[in-house]
Amino acid sequence: MDARPWRLAILSLICALTVWIWALGGVLFWIRWNAIERPGPPVRELFPYGEMRIGVDASNPPFAVATADDLFGFEIDLGRALAEEIGISVRFINMGYDGLYDSIRADQVDMVISTLTMDPLRTNDVRYTQPYFDAGLVLVSPSSKPIVTMSNLSNQVLAYEYGSDADSAARLWLRRIQPFETRPYELPQYALDAVRLGDADAALVDATTARLYLRDYRDWSVQMNYVTSIPYAIALRINRWNTWERVSLALQSLSDNGKLSEILKRWL
Amino acid sequence: MMSLMFAKFRTLKTHIPRWWIWYYRALLAGIILTSLAPVGPRAPLGMPQTVETVKPEVCIHTRLIDEVYEWKIQRSLQLIREMGANTIVEFFPWAYIEREKGNYDWASADMIARHARNQGIKIIARMGLVPGWARSDQEEGTTTLNYLPEDSFDDFATFVAAFAARYAGEIDQIIIWNEPNLSFEWGYRAVDPAGYARLLQAVYAPAHAANPNVLILAAPLAPTLEPQGSPNGLNDLLYLEALYQAGAADYFDVLAVHTYGFTEPPEAEPGENILNFRRAELLHDIMQRYDNPQKPISITESGWNDSPRWTKAVRPAQRIQYTINAFQYAEQNWDWLDKLCVWVFRYPAPTFSYPDYFTFVTPDFQLKPIYYAVQAYARGWETSESLWMPAPGD
Repeated sequence: MDARPWRLAILSLICALTVWIWALGGVLFWIRWNAIERPGPPVRELFPYGEMRIGVDASNPPFAVATADDLFGFEIDLGRALAEEIGISVRFINMGYDGLYDSIRADQVDMVISTLTMDPLRTNDVRYTQPYFDAGLVLVSPSSKPIVTMSNLSNQVLAYEYGSDADSAARLWLRRIQPFETRPYELPQYALDAVRLGDADAALVDATTARLYLRDYRDWSVQMNYVTSIPYAIALRINRWNTWERVSLALQSLSDNGKLSEILKRWL
Repeated sequence: MMSLMFAKFRTLKTHIPRWWIWYYRALLAGIILTSLAPVGPRAPLGMPQTVETVKPEVCIHTRLIDEVYEWKIQRSLQLIREMGANTIVEFFPWAYIEREKGNYDWASADMIARHARNQGIKIIARMGLVPGWARSDQEEGTTTLNYLPEDSFDDFATFVAAFAARYAGEIDQIIIWNEPNLSFEWGYRAVDPAGYARLLQAVYAPAHAANPNVLILAAPLAPTLEPQGSPNGLNDLLYLEALYQAGAADYFDVLAVHTYGFTEPPEAEPGENILNFRRAELLHDIMQRYDNPQKPISITESGWNDSPRWTKAVRPAQRIQYTINAFQYAEQNWDWLDKLCVWVFRYPAPTFSYPDYFTFVTPDFQLKPIYYAVQAYARGWETSESLWMPAPGD
């Protein structure tokens, strides 16, 4: 029997093994190389104007509101906390919603913190951080008789504000599940009142309204369950990757050390 | 005979390389799969329609140009017709149509015009958005689509004239630019009434030469109280006055106006330092002083917002009432008004912010209660039922 095919097979195996070991070594090296923590670019490079310029539409209480000479709100405090975390001064530039994204493109601001939801149509121009708040619709029901999801609503009574997003959602749900009774009110607070006073089993309102209402009724034991999601995130220019990374890390740090929750509790 | 044919086929088969056979099999499988794919929704025009309305001034601003699907454009226009609005304001961006200088792509504009005509709806066209080739520093990528350098005024005028000629008899009202009293709408530059007057001058004669019946509408100004020298913009009353002083009166036929109610009811008194629905009267007063008193005004954006968060919004129930009252107020008091267009029928996709609360219809075509209210008003229907429950405990 000729031994040459065996020799060829062994040679091929050795070659394959060598290539595999080199590839494995390369991958391990790449992973370790990237795992080394290196100092990022200095802050003055991340914010070339020597300050963090934040665009905001200060007409959304409690997120951002303008008085004659000052701005305040959850997003203003968040911007200040981010600047403190990064170690730079901050300047807010108040503008209308229509100009927010263009201001990033035209380099009028470094970032926008202004109840922006991640919009897939904008991702050619901007990069979003992780969300800092979810403003979606919530089902509010008494803890003693919780209604957690849409399907729990069958044969129950749902209160909501007439003409609102909750009204639209309720009409959609009516097409999907067993019927439930609807009680539209003129104001979302009335819908929450209806649950609190026992006229309805659950209220469907936006998370911000619910949180603000519950601040006034701290003794009322309720369940609040998200049924839609509207996550707010910070937007930066697409080509400012290092700045985005630094801001994202700072936001994560605020979340980890509890400062974000602290700011949230201050306003909502 | 048959055996001869089979023999020939076998000979042929042996001459075809094996991989060709696999190629043909793959091709055949592809054709079968393609034929199995569901057909996209079509939008045949159908019978020409007419708008049934008792309030011909009712008009609505649309955002059809960014819509991908033809059937959604058709559906929007059907719903607008059924609502009783006989006119829409629609944006026709220069940057979409003339992406390369001298090369026009009218497909989207034609589609909108075709469906509007079929539904019996008139269009007021708004022009704006500058293509990259017409912006002087596009390489740096910092200029926005609203940046129109003076060197490109003639290019813009050529485009407007081409548009006017193409749609003559069908779209005879053209708005030149949008809210030039805002820095952001003027390409993040200091606002410049004299510069805008020169833009009107550049456009006016070529547009009229292309379509003698065209009406040029001066850009509606953003209702704002920004003082002289503000980096954000300029008070609309001051801007309009400056525009007239720069000699713009001879270069437009109709004044377009934006007037929003914000948090005030439509009947609220106007004032120089107040932004509300009747601010249109102050703009009309300025026009009376400087211009031909017979020149009409069209309100091309108006309305109320019902965002739960925005400081300039009202509740959905208030929005409905204020909108209907605004139509009634305008009909009874403003004989100089041509159209009252509300912002906005529908967005192709949600903004996830307060602008969504200006819409009449959601992106997935859910009709909001305001749609039914305006429909009842425009078509003269009686409404009496109570829309919401009394507050708990009342």
